Amino acid sequence: MTAIMLAVLVGVLFACGAYMILLRGQIKLVLGLGLITHAVNLALFGTGKLTRGAPPIVPHEQQVTAAMAGQFADPLPQALILTAIVISFGVTAFIVVLIYRRDALTGSDLAPGELATVINTSDPFAPFSSRMVMPEAADDYDILQFELDEVYDNPQAEGADE
Amino acid sequence: MNVHPTILAMPVAIPLLFGALSLLMQGIRTPHRVRVQQILAGIAIGANLILALLLLSYTLSGGRMSFQMGLWPAPFGITVYIDGLSAIMLTTVGLLSALIFPFAVATMDAERARLGFYPMALFLLMGANGAFITGDLFNLYVFYEVLLMSSFVLLTLGGTPSQINGGIRYVVLNLMGSMMLLLAAGITYGTLGTLNMAHIAVRMGATPYLVQAVIAGLLLIAFGAKAAAFPVFFWLPSSYHTPHPAVTALFSGVLTKVGMYSLFRTFPLFFPWLLDEWQPLILTIAGLTMVIGVLGAFAQPTIRRLLSFHIISQIGYMFMGLGVAMAPTPYGVGFGLALAILFLVHNQIVKTALLLGGGAVELETGTGKLNELGGVVALRPFQAALFFLAAFSLAGFPPTSGFIGKLGLLEVTFSSGSWVIAAVSVFVSLLTTMSMIRLWQYVFWGKPHSKYRMPKKLATQGASMAMTVPVLILVVLSIAIGVMAQPALDAVQVAASQVIDRVGYVETVGPELTASDLQIPFGNYPADAVAAGR
Amino acid sequence: MTEIYLRLVNLILTPLIILVAILLFLRGHDLPGGGFIAGLLVAAALELTILSRGATVTREQYGPWLIPLVGLGLLVAVIAGLLGIYGGGFFHGMWIEFYLGGDKIKMGTPQLFDLGVMLVVIGMGVTYLLRLSEAAEAVSKNDAVEGEQP
Repeated sequence: MTAIMLAVLVGVLFACGAYMILLRGQIKLVLGLGLITHAVNLALFGTGKLTRGAPPIVPHEQQVTAAMAGQFADPLPQALILTAIVISFGVTAFIVVLIYRRDALTGSDLAPGELATVINTSDPFAPFSSRMVMPEAADDYDILQFELDEVYDNPQAEGADE
Repeated sequence: MNVHPTILAMPVAIPLLFGALSLLMQGIRTPHRVRVQQILAGIAIGANLILALLLLSYTLSGGRMSFQMGLWPAPFGITVYIDGLSAIMLTTVGLLSALIFPFAVATMDAERARLGFYPMALFLLMGANGAFITGDLFNLYVFYEVLLMSSFVLLTLGGTPSQINGGIRYVVLNLMGSMMLLLAAGITYGTLGTLNMAHIAVRMGATPYLVQAVIAGLLLIAFGAKAAAFPVFFWLPSSYHTPHPAVTALFSGVLTKVGMYSLFRTFPLFFPWLLDEWQPLILTIAGLTMVIGVLGAFAQPTIRRLLSFHIISQIGYMFMGLGVAMAPTPYGVGFGLALAILFLVHNQIVKTALLLGGGAVELETGTGKLNELGGVVALRPFQAALFFLAAFSLAGFPPTSGFIGKLGLLEVTFSSGSWVIAAVSVFVSLLTTMSMIRLWQYVFWGKPHSKYRMPKKLATQGASMAMTVPVLILVVLSIAIGVMAQPALDAVQVAASQVIDRVGYVETVGPELTASDLQIPFGNYPADAVAAGR
Repeated sequence: MTEIYLRLVNLILTPLIILVAILLFLRGHDLPGGGFIAGLLVAAALELTILSRGATVTREQYGPWLIPLVGLGLLVAVIAGLLGIYGGGFFHGMWIEFYLGGDKIKMGTPQLFDLGVMLVVIGMGVTYLLRLSEAAEAVSKNDAVEGEQP
């Protein structure tokens, strides 16, 4: 029964995560990713067979015997979950910083470029002035501009540090 | 040749050691910090290449090796395993990083170099090497994440708006792919009770078809997403054109190819019979990837956007090779896989050459937009000729490696009866040629524009050499594989025969793995299909 | 920045949390704890500093050392792996046992690896927290400026 409930929970988390990723706001994107990673972590947790077992640590003096087989919880899924949590924590942290950076650059929570004509209001009858029009799509070659400006403005850029 | 198995940990340990050292340098406020990091990266890349060549010469003479991390015995500890395929991949990635390194040193702007380009490139190398040598499914996931984390940082290094935009899409879609891989690992552990790849291969034959299908499907989605195959390729064209050209070249040679490598490794090892049963599915993915990639390339307005769509298109050919990997051919089973490996290597070489050449044009003219370019052949005739050769190698003209790869794949696909996909691949080759001619005409042909701004840093003799010589070496390599095809074919056939030899894999990792599961039928497919559980 | 009570709490609590983190790190091999958790605790302790003294001051104090700390942690971890080669293979655990005032002390390469993990987690965690706190401070500063205008 617990296994079925866990499976349903994983499915619901996946569905909610997918829904939130498909929404337009960037913070919802992060939350959706968080839900999906949690769903996968729960699924990993379920692979260890949901039993009540002792921690799988045997004292130094005691011998390991075959009779002990069923007593312990499976430690491997927990180790896997810990690793997965660490990794997804790192990725989520990175994407939050990226989204903040984009927010600082474009002043908007929404993605520029493809969504340039999308209007940031749920009210279709709102006066035009209250609609927010997306900033222009970033130029593909702003990277080269960065490069060229630096080389032109500062000929000693190569050696100078800080 | 007698080498200690501990050497197998070195492809991971060397880049990690030097990457950690140069990350440590990050805190030292000397004007020569970047220099020190460059020297460290150079040493690490050189040592990595030498090591990879050593392992290549060992494995291509028929040897394979495994090593248990921390000496924990096989199904419990992490296994590191090397055979011909791993060694070939280690060598090509080592070679590509050794060639991209001088390009990066010459063209990388001081800001990005100071923000930590070199340590991150070393961590990328470490992740790729780890994915090539690991023999453990969860460990494969961990190395994928190492690879992806460093690629996230490399992609957004500098933080211009277009990079951030591309970076967010890249991170989200790749994180989804990683989650699929993690789920596959979890389901494998829950149903088979092991994560060691050799042990999985032993136990896979006894599991119900449904479980096999779930694991195989998740792996196909996960690795397909990493390799940028048809329905899950969107992260690639929306991000590859944004970073520095050296980074794009590094990505094209490493990232998607790690996904292909993982498919070549896991499918013939875990469920070779599924490659036959699912052949229509895999070939459909292959055809759609090819066609959509090349058609997408026609619509692209800039050099690197166009070339990144061609990466997708070429991935389709490798999927075609995967589809016919276990098909019976006049040359024996596994010849399809051998050609797929050859095509993978060819594609790594040529794609990197094209992106380095195109990147050099972008850096030297200050733009990559096709309608703003033109007449570069008058300024840089030698580079234009090299780009031309690489483009024709990509399209598959003789006497280049593209010709050998495509001809072989076509032959195998025809003889296995899948003539629809063979016809599609020929048609796509034609479209590739057209697209490449269009690119070459726009960029190199015609009258030079007067607006080109050549950065002073790139106007020196040394920088020009550093941008041309790697492309030259890659193009020569491509032609060499095309002209002297027999040694290359021999090498990939050794690799392919080692990949499909499941019994040999398990014996190399640990003979005790089969002993504990004697009731499970296990053997090579399709030679003893009954023993393999089919 | 007049959070005088928070500063007092920071003065008392941050060293205590770091001590607890060291304790967790030391018991980590056989009991719950370990490098990752200890590193997170240290990062949390430094977050208290960020909250009470502001991100800018904290950045001046610790900022330049965070990324090299990650490098140092990775270096320690890989050295722990390389030391194992002496014992037979990469990442082979090697232990030293000795008695100190009647207590048995056990030290080994897995703990060294754990130390590396701890340093990496401190570096990455504090970098992340600093970045977000700076963002939050910038936003609140903007709001304050906008609030003054009618």
